[in-house]
Amino acid sequence: MENAYHVGMADLVVVSAPAKLITLGLGSCIGLVIFDSVAKIAGMAHIMLPDSHGSKGGEKVGKFADTAVPAVVDEMIKKGASKTRMKAKIAGGAQMFALPGTPTDFLAVGSRNIKETTAILAKLGIPLVSSDTGGNKGRTVEFSTTTWMLAIKTLGKKEMSEI
Amino acid sequence: MLDLSSFNYLQLDAIKEVGNIGTGNAATALSQLLSCMIDMDVPKADLVSIYSIADYYGDPDTPVAAVFVRSLGEFGCSLIFIQNEEDANLMVDLLLKQQFGGYMPEDLPQEMIDSAIAEVGNIILSSFLNAINLLIGTRHQITPPGVAHDMLASIMDVVVAIFGQMGDMAVLVNTELRVGGPGKSEQDISGNIVMLPDPDALELLLRKLQVL
Repeated sequence: MENAYHVGMADLVVVSAPAKLITLGLGSCIGLVIFDSVAKIAGMAHIMLPDSHGSKGGEKVGKFADTAVPAVVDEMIKKGASKTRMKAKIAGGAQMFALPGTPTDFLAVGSRNIKETTAILAKLGIPLVSSDTGGNKGRTVEFSTTTWMLAIKTLGKKEMSEI
Repeated sequence: MLDLSSFNYLQLDAIKEVGNIGTGNAATALSQLLSCMIDMDVPKADLVSIYSIADYYGDPDTPVAAVFVRSLGEFGCSLIFIQNEEDANLMVDLLLKQQFGGYMPEDLPQEMIDSAIAEVGNIILSSFLNAINLLIGTRHQITPPGVAHDMLASIMDVVVAIFGQMGDMAVLVNTELRVGGPGKSEQDISGNIVMLPDPDALELLLRKLQVL
């Protein structure tokens, strides 16, 4: 029996197999999964914004891409995972609204989230093995440490896709 | 920059009153559009944690229809009209039935449904904003509406984009409109207006209301 863990906004959860990591309704936020299938350890973060610079500090580390990614990695190493075996998957980063004919920089936070998360994974040398990002639909994601697959559900589609 | 954690009741009350004036105007406009009675709640102004913004409205994965507009100008503000998918469909039926003289065509194309949703949202949100700008004496321009059908939590990520960088609280004004007058009935249709003033607009608003 797999225990299911719900990862709330700006939260990060690291678990040992068998477990399921779930996060609901990602819009512009990113669902990041890092896993080590040998040590059987996985972590998920619900990242809200790209960059912690300019924030007032003292906030949840899972909130920003630049603090969340290293925090998940550290937490996993503490549990016995090896950085060289780590792989990552990401989903989310949609732009929920488009306003015709109007510049909407702040609505494009999703694409900045994707860019920053990807860049930090690359900097840490963690291969991003698959991703399902962008577009304009929200996603509910579920990661299984049995199959190491990330299942993605969007509204209006009956079938879940797996990456 | 305004520190939201030091907000006091007087300030929240002043913002609530602004919401009240906006909602009154929006309800009148909706009532004229649909030619029926509209009932409104007394608006609430709340400081809400951005980590649980969706829970404030319901289950994070509830399917909703939402209309989004931005007010550009001195008083920068985002507004969302959000409805459960079923309520949005009832509202569309009500509006289109009138347009087609009581006859409701079957299999409406999604574009037509979205266009009706956008129009209702646009009328509600622009009248809401007009009243506020009239009150505080600012000029504004409203963007065309954007429509989305999605999970509640995904839609509310917009709030994070506005308030997230400056802290972990958001100020929002929330109010419910119901079609069909007071009391529950078969055709009860409800929707929420969510007003999200930009952080610097909030400061302007409080100053104009003389509570800062």
